[in-house]
Amino acid sequence: MKKKILIQFAGLLLLSATAFSQQFNQEYIDSLIKSSAQSQVARTSKFAIVGYTSVSAKFNKEDGAAFNNLVFNPILLWQPHKNIVIEAEMETEIEGSETKIDMGYANASFFLNKYLTVRTGKFISPFGIFQDRLHPSWINKLPTVPVGTGEDALGVGPTSEIGIDFRGGIPLGSAKMNYSIFFANGAQLITDPTDPGKQGTLTYGNAETINKKLTGGGRVGFLPLSNSSLEVGFSYRNGNVGDKNSAYKFIGSQMYALDLTYVKQLDFIKGMFDVKAQWNKVNVDKAEYIDPGDPTGNTLYTFENKRSSFFTQAAYRPSMSQSKFLKKTELVFRYAGFNPPTGAKGLEEIKQYTYGINYWFTWRTAFKAAYQSQKDNNAFFLQVAVGF
Amino acid sequence: MKRNTIIITVAMILTTGLLIASCVSTKVTDKSGSQLWSENCQRCHNTPPSSAFTNTQWEVINTHMRQRAMLTEDEVKKITEFMQAGE
Repeated sequence: MKKKILIQFAGLLLLSATAFSQQFNQEYIDSLIKSSAQSQVARTSKFAIVGYTSVSAKFNKEDGAAFNNLVFNPILLWQPHKNIVIEAEMETEIEGSETKIDMGYANASFFLNKYLTVRTGKFISPFGIFQDRLHPSWINKLPTVPVGTGEDALGVGPTSEIGIDFRGGIPLGSAKMNYSIFFANGAQLITDPTDPGKQGTLTYGNAETINKKLTGGGRVGFLPLSNSSLEVGFSYRNGNVGDKNSAYKFIGSQMYALDLTYVKQLDFIKGMFDVKAQWNKVNVDKAEYIDPGDPTGNTLYTFENKRSSFFTQAAYRPSMSQSKFLKKTELVFRYAGFNPPTGAKGLEEIKQYTYGINYWFTWRTAFKAAYQSQKDNNAFFLQVAVGF
Repeated sequence: MKRNTIIITVAMILTTGLLIASCVSTKVTDKSGSQLWSENCQRCHNTPPSSAFTNTQWEVINTHMRQRAMLTEDEVKKITEFMQAGE
């Protein structure tokens, strides 16, 4: 009898131990799954998809009316670690009958200390402020971009780079400064005579070695006022641009830009006053190009390849008005210009005046109307732009 | 020519004086999240309300803006806390 009780007791103990160990294991496994899942969720949820989209219509005498431009640019952001962020922008655009898909930028940033960030990959060139900060349609206060800021025959200055960039901000008491210093693949000099206006211009953001040396440059910005409303910046970029396997291999370029930003809500005008300005200068060493006017292609010609462009823009929004409608309305004026190299074929000086009025439905959704006056090319534009 | 130079010089002095007078001197490191949010965002675009994104999204977006707008670690931390507080 005693033996039977002992066996039953031992069995019960064994059963309890098994049940306990099972429960313990289950809890342990559950906790493992939970912690693993949590870290997985934490890792994957630090994503954000932002970006912007816009649709524009153009009206002018020659072409009539058309919805001529549609842009959808999603930007993927991923933060796998508190000191790392990865960003990639896909640019999709329908202009006329063409659909363009491009990688705007894709890079990884590493925050090494309070004042230094290293980013590597494809990034917007830190040259002036328009490309780096103002070009997205939900930020740009007009439906058009100022002449001289794109990557076309009239472009003066870089748009993007592939390389490495060291950047950051530094407080200087009540003032502040920021800096960006980069090393990247060189720009490429266009020498093809089939498009005369493009001869002597440069393409940027190339993922190949055009020249044997890397290009270097950067921008320094200074915010002297304690409310950070004013910023002045200076940019510089230097490097060879000729193909290493061609007669242009020693051709170099130097680029400079000055920029200014002033944004402040001023009591005496009861609203937000926003001024932006930029001046760009690109000098390319003198080179001989095939004369596009000679069908045999045997005649060479040269010109002083120095071009510049600028824009100044002022906007006013009566943000302190009692009227809900006026509060969301903004007036904008921009004066821009392009000065071609003296003696270059297929290019002429351009002066551009743009007058605009915007209505902001929300902080990131605007309806814009603008009239742009330019020699032989006056047009009226409408645009709806949404940031997301 | 001389007259133009005088006018431009006087205009520049007045503008500089106006700009300086419009500021209350505060050390950048002493600024609040609200002040940093207002001063830094509006230099390029309209200031977003805190309700525009979730707390996690604010963390990612502001880390991205630290790189894009060349902000310091301290500035981004204060702005993120301000946005996450939903004030």
